[in-house]
Amino acid sequence: MAEAAGPLERVRPAERSLGLWLARRNRGYYIIGYAVLLFLALWTLFPVYWQLATSLRSDVDLFSSTVTLIPRIITTEHYEKILGPSYPFLRQLRNSALVALATTVISTLLGAMAGYALTRLRFAGRTVLARLLVYAYLAPGTILFIPIFVMMSRLGLRDNLVGLTLAYLTFTVPFATWMLMGYFRTLPIELEEAALIDGASRWQILWRIMVPLSGPALVVAAVFAFTLSWNEFLYALVLLQKQEVMTAPVGLSAYVIGDQYYWGQMMAAATIMSLPPLVVYLFGQRWVIAGWTSGAVKD
Amino acid sequence: MALLRTVERTSVRAGVRPTRLGRDFWLGYALTLPAFLVVVGLVAYPLGYAFWLSLQDIKVGGQGQFVGLANYARLLFDRDSRIYGLFWNSVKVTFLYTGGALAGKFIIGMVSALILNAQIRARHFWRTLLFVPWAIPAVVSAFTWRWMYNDVNGVINTLLTNLGLVDRPILFLADPKLALWSVLIAAIWQGAPFWTMTFLAGLQAIPRELYEAAAIDGATPFQQYFRITLPLLTPVITVTVMLSAIWTSNAIQYVYILTNGGPANATQTFPLLAYHEGMQAYDLGIASTIPLVFFPVFAVLIYFLTRRMLRQEG
Repeated sequence: MAEAAGPLERVRPAERSLGLWLARRNRGYYIIGYAVLLFLALWTLFPVYWQLATSLRSDVDLFSSTVTLIPRIITTEHYEKILGPSYPFLRQLRNSALVALATTVISTLLGAMAGYALTRLRFAGRTVLARLLVYAYLAPGTILFIPIFVMMSRLGLRDNLVGLTLAYLTFTVPFATWMLMGYFRTLPIELEEAALIDGASRWQILWRIMVPLSGPALVVAAVFAFTLSWNEFLYALVLLQKQEVMTAPVGLSAYVIGDQYYWGQMMAAATIMSLPPLVVYLFGQRWVIAGWTSGAVKD
Repeated sequence: MALLRTVERTSVRAGVRPTRLGRDFWLGYALTLPAFLVVVGLVAYPLGYAFWLSLQDIKVGGQGQFVGLANYARLLFDRDSRIYGLFWNSVKVTFLYTGGALAGKFIIGMVSALILNAQIRARHFWRTLLFVPWAIPAVVSAFTWRWMYNDVNGVINTLLTNLGLVDRPILFLADPKLALWSVLIAAIWQGAPFWTMTFLAGLQAIPRELYEAAAIDGATPFQQYFRITLPLLTPVITVTVMLSAIWTSNAIQYVYILTNGGPANATQTFPLLAYHEGMQAYDLGIASTIPLVFFPVFAVLIYFLTRRMLRQEG
């Protein structure tokens, strides 16, 4: 805890105005609170820092007998190498982007349609379908990956990004529907009635009223679909065996299983791969956190 | 039914008769059809197909032969078969792994949420920071941890050596006694933010007046925590534990990348065993059977979760 001692001193002056609610008048709890917070921050950030620092170190520095916490020389050579022609990484990033974007668009669209119908229209089997969607969302991929592997093989969709996108719909469509249902329900029904009186069809209502009003919810559904499919590993591992069709996560794992331990390059690839979900999270976090609290999200 | 009631209640509140919701069968079916096809074609059918495969002796690329429950019998009871020992080992490892991960994520998630819910400075900044591991692809963090655990120039071993705590590198991932713990720490690192997030949402829903009243009555912070916070947070905790139990036990990235099930199968959870049997031993029958044996456990969890989630909607 030596690292925590310094910053703590600096924190003290704020004490009078801001106390931990669990002990507003107790200095002891207050200090412990900040010490724990600093520890948590260190624990959270260190691996991220280490990944970044490794990706920027030269190989000489990486494998010298003494390791320094801060790189001695900063270099972008690993980034140049991993993005260069000797690795299929750039292509694999493109594959990841294609699959993630296709999954995001399809699942948000299908989710909005089904979510609207399930909240605003009455038809036989509606509650059963709503329940099925939740079951499907929770069904673990480990039970489904073998049959999906066999199905895709028979359909000729192995080593194929369309096959992978189909597999991803198994969890993104139920999730998007579920999330949007929760949101549509909070929209006032009067708007729709007014539109119906004005002669709008339900189809028009969905696209002209519900969807424009659901911006934040659609963003959350899209962010989750994107992140989940960008990060997905099991289906991609099973369905993609050719390097040129692999997505970035499987591509990365193939570099190591092949017994290459070029940690600088691996960490450079890892850093590049982390950027899209990280950026999406940082910009969309207000909505993401609101969506998350609905209590139905994958970790 | 819960869903139907919710909808009706909402309409009544809005002063509208339920029928005004629109009894539009055709549009209802048309709009839900694509999602329905996904659920039936890509979830329900594969689930049934998994069961069908588990009743066959079938190899990758070969013709299946119906063998009834023979695969189940081999896994569960046939002491002479190779898979028997592997299977029961994976049961043990899966329970240890899931239990350990849930405990670790619970502790870190709870502590983080309590602190983030307190009146700390720059709360928004700290919250953003503590949630970062969630946004990083699991494969990436698995590799980062593997590199940090490395015996040659791995940062953890270097620090320990420099501090004089060890004379020779600790084999975090190659020592059968340590490997599972090492994998667990990486999995906890990644999974804890989800718990922090749900706990924080739960904490924010607890009315502050309760604490004020308790404080006036002289309750200590610990009494407040155990008498107010914990009881009121129980529903959130239950849902989080169940969701995380499903996802954690089924996650394959950490065990696959950090140890690939080794050393001596010490980290081979059941999804990884299924993967090895199916994709490396090419035995699709056994590979389908392994997760299905665990299916009843998940079915119970999913049943209770669904009930709760549909009720929560109201």
